[in-house]
Amino acid sequence: MEKMSRVTTALSGSALTGRTMHCHLDAPANAISVCRDAAQVVVAGRSIFKIYAIEEERFVEKLNLRVGRKPSLNLSCADVVWHQMDESLLATAATNGVVVTWNLGRPSRNKQDQLFTEHKRTVNKVCFHPTEAHVLLSGSQDGFMKCFDLRRKDSVSTFSGQSESVRDVQFSIRDYFTFASTFENGNVQLWDIRRPDRCERMFTAHNGPVFCCDWHPEDRGWLATGGRDKMVKVWDMTTHRAKEVHCVQTIASVARVKWRPECRHHLATCSMMVDHNIYVWDVRRPFVPAAMFEEHRDVTTGIAWRHPHDPSFLLSGSKDSTLCQHLFRDASQPVERANPEGLCYGLFGDLAFAAKESLVAVESGRKPYTGDRRHPIFFKKKVDPAAPFAGLASSALSVFEMEPGSGSMSWFVDTAERYALAGRPLAELCDHNAKVARELGRNQVAQTWTMLRIIYCSPGLVPGTNLSHSVGKGSSCGLPLMNSFNLKDVAPGLGSETRLDRSKGDTRSDTVLLDSSATLITNEDNEETEGSDVPADYLLCDVEGEDDELYLLDPEHTHSEEPEYVLPQEAFPLRHEIVDTPPGPEHLQDKADSPHVSGSEADAASLVPVDSSFSLISVSHALYDSRLPPDFFSALVCDMLRFYAEQGDVQMAVSVLVVLGERVRKDIDEQTQEHWYTSYIDLLQRFCLWNVSNQVVKLSTSRAISCLNQASTTLHVNCSHCKRPMSSRGWVCDRCHRCASMCAVCHHVVKGLFVWCQGCSHGGHLQHIMKWLEGSSHCPAGCGHLCEYS
Amino acid sequence: MFVARSIAADHKDLIHDVSFDFHGRRMATCSSDQSVKVWDKSESGDWHCTASWKTHSGSVWRVTWAHPEFGQVLASCSFDRTAAVWEEIVGESNDKLRGQSHWVKRTTLVDSRTSVTDVKFAPKHMGLMLATCSADGIVRIYEAPDVMNLSQWSLQHEVSCKLSCSCISWNPSSSRAHPPMIAVGSDDGSPNAMAKVQVFEYNENTRKYAKAETLMTVTDPVHDIAFAPNLGRSFHILAIATKDVRIFTLKPVRKELTSSGGPTKFEIQVVAQFDNHNSQVWRVSWNITGTVLASSGDDGCVRLWKANYMDNWKCTGILKGNGSPVSGSSQQGNANPSLGSNIPNLQHSLNGSSAGRKHS
Repeated sequence: MEKMSRVTTALSGSALTGRTMHCHLDAPANAISVCRDAAQVVVAGRSIFKIYAIEEERFVEKLNLRVGRKPSLNLSCADVVWHQMDESLLATAATNGVVVTWNLGRPSRNKQDQLFTEHKRTVNKVCFHPTEAHVLLSGSQDGFMKCFDLRRKDSVSTFSGQSESVRDVQFSIRDYFTFASTFENGNVQLWDIRRPDRCERMFTAHNGPVFCCDWHPEDRGWLATGGRDKMVKVWDMTTHRAKEVHCVQTIASVARVKWRPECRHHLATCSMMVDHNIYVWDVRRPFVPAAMFEEHRDVTTGIAWRHPHDPSFLLSGSKDSTLCQHLFRDASQPVERANPEGLCYGLFGDLAFAAKESLVAVESGRKPYTGDRRHPIFFKKKVDPAAPFAGLASSALSVFEMEPGSGSMSWFVDTAERYALAGRPLAELCDHNAKVARELGRNQVAQTWTMLRIIYCSPGLVPGTNLSHSVGKGSSCGLPLMNSFNLKDVAPGLGSETRLDRSKGDTRSDTVLLDSSATLITNEDNEETEGSDVPADYLLCDVEGEDDELYLLDPEHTHSEEPEYVLPQEAFPLRHEIVDTPPGPEHLQDKADSPHVSGSEADAASLVPVDSSFSLISVSHALYDSRLPPDFFSALVCDMLRFYAEQGDVQMAVSVLVVLGERVRKDIDEQTQEHWYTSYIDLLQRFCLWNVSNQVVKLSTSRAISCLNQASTTLHVNCSHCKRPMSSRGWVCDRCHRCASMCAVCHHVVKGLFVWCQGCSHGGHLQHIMKWLEGSSHCPAGCGHLCEYS
Repeated sequence: MFVARSIAADHKDLIHDVSFDFHGRRMATCSSDQSVKVWDKSESGDWHCTASWKTHSGSVWRVTWAHPEFGQVLASCSFDRTAAVWEEIVGESNDKLRGQSHWVKRTTLVDSRTSVTDVKFAPKHMGLMLATCSADGIVRIYEAPDVMNLSQWSLQHEVSCKLSCSCISWNPSSSRAHPPMIAVGSDDGSPNAMAKVQVFEYNENTRKYAKAETLMTVTDPVHDIAFAPNLGRSFHILAIATKDVRIFTLKPVRKELTSSGGPTKFEIQVVAQFDNHNSQVWRVSWNITGTVLASSGDDGCVRLWKANYMDNWKCTGILKGNGSPVSGSSQQGNANPSLGSNIPNLQHSLNGSSAGRKHS
């Protein structure tokens, strides 16, 4: 309030009024200057020189100073200045180097007063002495500054900058005799008007031309300079060396700079290129303009505050041939629109959050929504130009990290790594995956796997009593499993992982789990016995051609397994399913050339159903058909997969899709499958689970997906003996007719990971070498070298 | 359930955006101080600033990572009317910069005549593309035809939105069934109540982006917009930060029913609307699976929203921005009367007919 009263007194009781307005000029303006009474403005340009009266609602043309029939070059103005003491005195700088003074008091139409033709090139700037009535200063492209006494015909003194063109000259308000000049080479010079021989002080202010400068109206030692380097610098000239106190970064070269009246730290700038806007900056917040005027459609060439004590009216002239009056309260405020917060969800469920400190510091930071942020200033009582500066805004940055195990994405990684997707009988896969899910506390998912197992693999391992119980209950409708184990009971809660009431299903699923673990154990037993028989070669992915051997093993395998089943006939539906799906052999083929992550036991196991189905096919048909129509479940399972996908658990959708394979594939359209696959692969890659992602790509049946691996992947193999590139025909070198990269342990060709000792260059399958080294540190090839592996 | 880790960002002005990279191990921040900082997560989980450089000559509004397949690439956009693409170069072995990384400007996109308010890379399957939007209401889509040459970007599309744009979001769906789609929000504050969110879809036949939908119900300035990651959903979820948090679903109407060739028609539904921030909402961000939405507002809090199995969105957590004790419990969320519960629930069970049995 105190401040406001000072403004009105400064305006001698008559506060300025007006609104944002503009008027069209006949020609582009080069410069403007305001009369001391704040009611008139002069506009000068190459072909315009007019005085306008500023009225409440509009500009009114008052006087055209461009008289005479023949336009003279003297009237082509680069700059204009109105004397701040004498309302009838004006000076213009002409592009032909002439400085002209105008006396509005002359009775004739031609107000031209005096003509100084001393400069040889364009005069860039003219400036009256702030207190002395007759002293005029000019700065020209020719590198000279001249001081004129209007009572004399010639210049009083000439100042040579000794450098390049002069862009601006400004009398100091603080020192009677001092003026500053800026140059195209980036220098600023300080002169004493009494000493034309040399400057008092010189310093380099900018990179490139310094287009403008302005002395601070109150802080008399401050000089603001603006340059082509897009910067406005504020210099403290009171110290021995000019000290840069502030630096404002603008977005374009600075053509004009003007301190805002009554606002110690505000200044207005405009640019001569690219940018048409006028900005008002608080020099203490040098990155964001405090206000922005966007009225002009072309470069703004002149700006002037209407009254030296009124901070809210800004006048501007532009190349778009308009003269504008801007009201500060109508300015757009980029700060207000700027987003004060940044928020990003991380991969692991962590959140990065940056917010303006005032928003997060105290509760008072909370402000009600005002509806319209662009003009919030309308709702304020009055703009207080000297409102206490809020201080340089800063943000607090913090990352909210998930505590391990509390809903972070670790479950995803664990699940992805531990799920078994192929290489074992369906029942085992389901059991295994159910176990994984259960161990991670994802009970709904675990149950889904268990159900899938029951649906597709028969209740083979469920003890007879239990099974017959459920069968008996549901025998009337022929859907025992569905009745007692309703999908709907489980599915809804899956996304949220909450424990639903599972009273009914609980006991059953538990028994199933028990059984499944039992199977796992028996299987492991089998594997171990098997492992001793089978050459360890199968540990790697070079099993081609050895399928026969596996076949030989299979009957033995199945036989050993079958006695374990309590009700062997219950296992038939699984076999039935596999027979039912047409491309049984193709399935086999897939297995053969895909990498067997789970190892040799997987191979052996995957072959089991195929093999055994031949003998049991007739029985299973009879059993199955009578109970369940083949497609009965698939629709339901597809729905379930879609549900999982919609809940964001595409992992489940893809895993089930892969595990069930042909059983459900045909019921889901290709595009959706592809979408699931790409989404899941993308997710896996995000978590750097490259192996899993590769496995998924390989196991996928969608052509678009499985080709992902092949695109832009080339494997070049050179012979290890003769160093020649190998032909594509096989692992035998054409040239030296030897097998390349033989494993020193098993004497087979290594097609996967080859590890070798750098000392003797013998090596082989990674697993074999590792195993070998457990027992001996000598080279397996028998060369006697003590192999070293890091 | 959350632990706040405060980071001394040392930006000299407001931070306007934070962005994690594809793998979640790097973070970029941008600020009004015209700089971008890159933060790397150490083994111990601390974030270290590994690069900080002046990117623009005005406030930097947004920073975003490209898919790592294209290298370590950032895009930024600024008040200075440009957007820029940056690439990290790891020093060669010969000079003293060995092992050190620095960021090189690959291109400056100067087509806008006004402040560029948002920049976003397109989903990876579309190639190396990015979209910018600017205060003059134009969305520009650029493409780098050669992914190895990040300095060559060609302006592919200019889409006029008629309103000052503040934010854009690509539909991240990788499904072939979903053509490229981009949603644009406007923070235009003029009193006329125009719809502030438009959705544009790429038309294969005309090879242009055409307006597919306008969300007529959003008439207040929009400050952020985000499509949820689509991991196999048939429909899209769009979150909007305006005076409140809103979540929309856009369900494509089956093609057979619409005239072929035209833009996809959508069935749009507001599934949630929350004014719990009690103020302007500035940012929305989805988690990686598109199941949890985080929003931040003028109240300085981050709120987490999650749908239950009934597709009822609820607040599941509130985080204070200053890292003060975090109230992650769901009690608070439930205490707030959420508009979401008033909205007709979408039944999201396996099949609708037996959904009712659940409670019996």
